[in-house]
Amino acid sequence: MTVMPNYKAFILFLLCAGFSQAQEVFDYHTIRGREAKGSLEGLYEGELLPRKSKNMREQGMRHYGPGWSGNSHLLWHGEFGDSIKTTIHFEEAGPYQVELRMTKAGDYGVCSIILNGKVLKEKVDLYSTKVELTPVINLGKLDLKAGDQQLEFKLTESNPKARPFRKNFYILGLDYIKFKSLKPPKKLTPKKIEKVEPEVLQKDLTLEKLQPLLNSYCINCHGGEKTKGRINLKEIHNKQGFLSNIKVTEKVYHALALSEMPPEDEKQPTTAERQQLTQLFRQYLDEHLKSNSQLKPTVMRRLNRYEYSNAVKDLLDLKGPVYPLPEIAIRAFPNYFNPASGKFPDSVRVGNRALGKNQVEQKILRGVVPFAIDLQAEHGFNNRGEELSISPIFLESIVKLSRSIVTSPDFNNYTRLYNSLFTAPKEASIEEQKTLGEKRLLPLLERAFRQRITDSIANRYINFFQRELDRTKSFESSMKSVIAGILASPRFIYIVESKREASEKELLSPYELAARLSFFLWSSIPDKELIKSARSGRLTTPSELKKQVERMIEDPKCQSLSQNFARQWLRLDQLITAVPDFDRFQTYYARIGCEQWKFGLQTMLEPLLLFESIMVEDRSIMLLVDSKYSYRTDEMESWYQDKVPFKNKGNRNRFNTFNQVFRKRSLSSRREGGIATTAATLTMTSSPLRTSPIIRGAWVATVLLNRPPPPPPDVVPEIEADDRKIEEKGLTIRERLKEHQENQSCASCHDKIDPLGFALESYDAVGRWRDQYSSGLKIDSSGKLFGKDFKDVIGLKNILLQEPQYFMRAFSEHLLSYALGRELALSDKPAVDLITKRVLAEHGKFSTVVLEITKSYPFLYKTNQQEPEK
Amino acid sequence: MILKNKTISRRTVLRGFGAAMALPFLEIMEKHGLSAKEPQSKPPVRAAFFYIPNGVVQKTWHPAETGKGYQLSPTLKPLESVRKKVSLYTKLDRIKVAGTDGHAQAGACWLSSAAPDELSPAGYPLKKTLDQIIASEAGKHTAFRSLELSCNPYEDNRESVYFDNISWYGHGHVARSMRDPNEVFNRLFATKEHADHASVLDLVKDDAKALNKDLGKIDRRKLDEYFDSVRTVERQIERIKERQTELDKLDLEAPAQPWQVLRRDEFIQVMGDLMILALQTDLTRVATMMTSPERWGSPLKVHGLFEKPIQHHGMTHNQGNERVRTDLQKLDQFHVEQFARLVKKMDAIQEGDSTLLDNMIFTLGSGISAGDLHVYTDLPTVIAGTGGGKISTDHHLKSKEGTPIANLFLSIAQIMGVKTDRFADSTGALNLS
Repeated sequence: MTVMPNYKAFILFLLCAGFSQAQEVFDYHTIRGREAKGSLEGLYEGELLPRKSKNMREQGMRHYGPGWSGNSHLLWHGEFGDSIKTTIHFEEAGPYQVELRMTKAGDYGVCSIILNGKVLKEKVDLYSTKVELTPVINLGKLDLKAGDQQLEFKLTESNPKARPFRKNFYILGLDYIKFKSLKPPKKLTPKKIEKVEPEVLQKDLTLEKLQPLLNSYCINCHGGEKTKGRINLKEIHNKQGFLSNIKVTEKVYHALALSEMPPEDEKQPTTAERQQLTQLFRQYLDEHLKSNSQLKPTVMRRLNRYEYSNAVKDLLDLKGPVYPLPEIAIRAFPNYFNPASGKFPDSVRVGNRALGKNQVEQKILRGVVPFAIDLQAEHGFNNRGEELSISPIFLESIVKLSRSIVTSPDFNNYTRLYNSLFTAPKEASIEEQKTLGEKRLLPLLERAFRQRITDSIANRYINFFQRELDRTKSFESSMKSVIAGILASPRFIYIVESKREASEKELLSPYELAARLSFFLWSSIPDKELIKSARSGRLTTPSELKKQVERMIEDPKCQSLSQNFARQWLRLDQLITAVPDFDRFQTYYARIGCEQWKFGLQTMLEPLLLFESIMVEDRSIMLLVDSKYSYRTDEMESWYQDKVPFKNKGNRNRFNTFNQVFRKRSLSSRREGGIATTAATLTMTSSPLRTSPIIRGAWVATVLLNRPPPPPPDVVPEIEADDRKIEEKGLTIRERLKEHQENQSCASCHDKIDPLGFALESYDAVGRWRDQYSSGLKIDSSGKLFGKDFKDVIGLKNILLQEPQYFMRAFSEHLLSYALGRELALSDKPAVDLITKRVLAEHGKFSTVVLEITKSYPFLYKTNQQEPEK
Repeated sequence: MILKNKTISRRTVLRGFGAAMALPFLEIMEKHGLSAKEPQSKPPVRAAFFYIPNGVVQKTWHPAETGKGYQLSPTLKPLESVRKKVSLYTKLDRIKVAGTDGHAQAGACWLSSAAPDELSPAGYPLKKTLDQIIASEAGKHTAFRSLELSCNPYEDNRESVYFDNISWYGHGHVARSMRDPNEVFNRLFATKEHADHASVLDLVKDDAKALNKDLGKIDRRKLDEYFDSVRTVERQIERIKERQTELDKLDLEAPAQPWQVLRRDEFIQVMGDLMILALQTDLTRVATMMTSPERWGSPLKVHGLFEKPIQHHGMTHNQGNERVRTDLQKLDQFHVEQFARLVKKMDAIQEGDSTLLDNMIFTLGSGISAGDLHVYTDLPTVIAGTGGGKISTDHHLKSKEGTPIANLFLSIAQIMGVKTDRFADSTGALNLS
């Protein structure tokens, strides 16, 4: 089951809030669970600042010493009187402590530092006999207005000892500038967390009492002569009927709770009537669950290749991944993702795998080839046992792969364990080497297999090692052989939970829980600390579990939730093959030399960076629906904001395909913000010559609401591929689709899917805003969601924000399904209800979602695997 | 495939071009497969399946006449020069099961043809597919049990596993297709590598046995996949070891270019060449290849045919439009032409008095008849080769309305030596002679 609206919150909403349209939208930006630690807040790297003058460039400084922040600085050269100009943006006015560090060297000049036109410091002499950093230069306390701050460094003269650079010039170098706010720190969650009131249930509802309501609103289409959707409410006419046809009951319940039924053009029940009906069917579901609470068993699954790479990297302490993985969208230069800092940087330099071809073909360990990619399950992720098979080809690949890792000529320099694991003292005898090998293998096996290592398991591997040692007399090669075996072992590549003796409800063992946690949060094996906690048995106590989860989500390894979960959840891979028509959407393409590049692929990272900022700063997941900020490159900003982007294509020829700097931007309009209105989403849900409201609607329904529409029917009439052809007939695409769905059987589904897509009609096929169609026809982006009308995309966002329980539930379901590696079922519903309720109480704080999932019943328990009943 | 220069080097580079190969492989066939273990009389019969996704334009596919001397339809024109060795089948159906994606089911269940009530947990009528059933028999004698290929040119991972695989070992156990010709090449011919793996296999097999004791029922089935695979790989290793010297003599060179840069026709031909090589050298007797995956709504460049990238699936829904239909028919014909080129290559390979093609059952088909309707009735089906003289050719057999395609598959299975009188939802074998 993938679909479960949050009925508790829904009913609560009905009871307390009513349907008021004017309801105020809570500002989810006030939620921040993690505050910036240490010196990071307000730090701007020189090399990442916008370059507003000629000759500004970045220089890597690693070779000159470790002191430079970000290992780079901003470099510039000019003549006396010239300036470097740049801007820094911040949202809040107030007093700031401003300081910076610059670079000194033999051909560096003397400069003035000017902020917003005011000279703050003069005669800063950057001459030195060697390349070094200045001490921290303090510019004092300043009262600054919100918005762009104009920063300027003016080259005024030079130290007499300095020699010029290229005859006429002198150099300036800026490492970083820091604006530290002197306002007293704001409270983290200023709004008091509301207690979710226990809901009032009407106890006396019975089918008999409500039968008249069903008769007047439902039976016409679902009983007697017509039985639309094969739902016959006449045939099922008593409580027992609904209890034994629980699938139908579930459908009826959802249709009522989400106001999907009765259809718009039919007679509608009053709010109170709808509430009564919803409650009745909900009671049936609850009653069914009381006696049917057994979880759907998780099928033992093997690692996918992303997890395999992480697991090997962590086990052998490699300096990087095992092989290049095209499925990782973001490459960091250097790694910016550090949740413990509590601060997502304002600028990040990243490589985009879709853009940079060399990043896919990049060689890591010579001779190592990953096994084939595992595709996602339908409406799910690539971590489900049902789909993850082991075929002969896979087994061949894994045996080959495991060997090729340790025998690669690059391996010894790539592992940090070379000395401590693979080498023995020269003077050691073979017998001593055997003992040494045994001592080293035991802890390694425990971590690799995530289980208590019994003697028989240990002996199998130790004996293998010792036989190899006898045969080859080489400690290193024997250790490598046994490790190749470990990396191909079913205990390593399968996530195993012992179920033979399991009852219907059985708590996971501490080791099993450790593995669930680490594969959920890190897509990898547990680290030493987690294993220690499992070994001691403490891990299954609530306080220790919480402590470990909190530690784990502060580890950079949890970036896998963005790289693996978010990418699949958002279906972002689809952008890679989107081909907006070249002639019509020239802005999507760029020319570099004589090659064409899809400039638009840059947009793929925008939703992922937003997701990561929410993780790192522990903000509310509701920012995924609507946010006041986003991360974009300069070119993308122009793409969104300018009528003619890139100032008549000027920038198009110059963007860097290897990496880009994404900066945090505050958004001027609510048309932007959140994930649904990013160019990436809107482009990949369009066809080359027009938007596709159906695909967009299905995307919103699947991703944001976790209500994937059923597969299309057998006969699918397709409409024109080019919207201009449609508009020539005087029709908008919306009207054209409507024409096509005259047929009632189409309309009943499309009435639900399409409005969500129509809401996005104000964005063209590459995600740029448009006020009208190119032919001048008006855009109608109105629609209905949860029984409420909206007139445009902002209205749609408002409904989602006013009734956050729907998105919170959908997000929690997606993440829980990912965490469990299986599809959800009706029996997971009580757990999802509980998670949603607590997430709602914390206004969608990201860490709450994760913590609640890890302490939920389906996450902590396993169930036996009786044959499913036929 | 090009033989660079016979007099200078016998090295064979796989490029996908060239009409036919005429390498002296027969000695290997004679020395190996046909010698000790099997009766020497005849070359073995081999089966291969060539899949085209998204159905075809029905009107231009079906010839009007039946029997001998039928006129080739416009789409089937590329078969002209080989028609003497080709037979055509129409009015064969598969029963669709509602509730799963129509395209995924078309591909994944084409060769399973399971009855509608035999649903896998994922909702598809997916059982062991025909090629795997044949492989259980025919694979007894060869290094590789079967070969699964997909000329999937897409670099995104748009669709689920059900769209890119037509071969299944059983419920939820995919015989995953390989899409990188270089990987296929190494698997088939890099003999030394295989031997290195044997000792590691022993180790992990023992571990898997011990693990089995802890598992629940479903998980044990999952682990059975592991055991099956270990056994298969062990057998491969053993058999390849036996054949090592002979294979080394072939002096083959891996495909020259990475798949990402191959033209559409090159890609299909390179994969086809690899498949033919494997069949010809008797490394396997069963193979499947998909010309591209089902649906996959991403644009696709078909070099030389269309100027701009096309969306095959989208086009099938638009075939009411004449211009689109013409384009679509061109694409169908392109696929038939690729098939015909492979058929010719097979026919150029001598095996005693016959050719490889004579000993083949090379089936072209799609699991969906017309993309716009998502129906599985009257599935496009062509067979090249006579299966060692068991299939009569140069005729068009039109079956009775409502004949399951499983009947044809049953006949194929029987010719391939599977002892059964039922396959999936078959109602009886189709008479092919």
